[in-house]
Amino acid sequence: MTRAQALTLNALALYGVALVLAVAFAAQLVLGELPCPLCLLQRIQFAMLAIGPILNIRFGPRPSHYALSLFAAVLGATVAGRQMLLHILPGDAGYGSALLGYHYYTWAFIGFAAAVVLIALVLLFDRQFEPGTGDDARIGSFARTAAWLVIALTLLNVASTVLECGFRACPDNPTVYELLKSVR
Amino acid sequence: MEFSALFLAVAMAMAVAWRGSRRLALALFAIVLIASAATYLHHATDVLKLSF
Repeated sequence: MTRAQALTLNALALYGVALVLAVAFAAQLVLGELPCPLCLLQRIQFAMLAIGPILNIRFGPRPSHYALSLFAAVLGATVAGRQMLLHILPGDAGYGSALLGYHYYTWAFIGFAAAVVLIALVLLFDRQFEPGTGDDARIGSFARTAAWLVIALTLLNVASTVLECGFRACPDNPTVYELLKSVR
Repeated sequence: MEFSALFLAVAMAMAVAWRGSRRLALALFAIVLIASAATYLHHATDVLKLSF
């Protein structure tokens, strides 16, 4: 895998993270399902997954950048796994609605596990780390758009979380936007 | 409140990774990762309201 191919894969990974954050917003805005604290923590870890690819695109692929994403994926899988276990008892309806039969935290666990596997696959290819492979291209618009998209979605999450929780601890089972409630 | 701060810190880490210094981006990432883990452990050690 050349450096250019690796950078394209990293940009695609950023679009993948953006898609996850966008789907989470869709569930929140369209279905009216506000994210719980564990849900917010999973969104944060998905956002953290993006920092490795951003560094790869900006500074060139390095194993340490992939390691950052691995750390985020492992912590994200831990949080999602806990939420799965909290609702694993027979008869428990789970938290929030289901998408294709799985709750969002189950999909998050699958996503984080997939991230670990995919990062391991990409790390098999050493050529991307060799200096002077002849693919030293400037950052193209495809990668640039991906990076700004993820940054924008993360900033939207800042705004959404401030509206949901106000300036206090986030409720365990949120149903209203606390900041909007208090200004009415 | 802590989740808003974590999201903001992640956004800052992303922006620094994209435009700023690599070392600062790595440091911000480490801080947010540790803070996320601490937040998770804080919630994980709360007494659960059991439903059965």
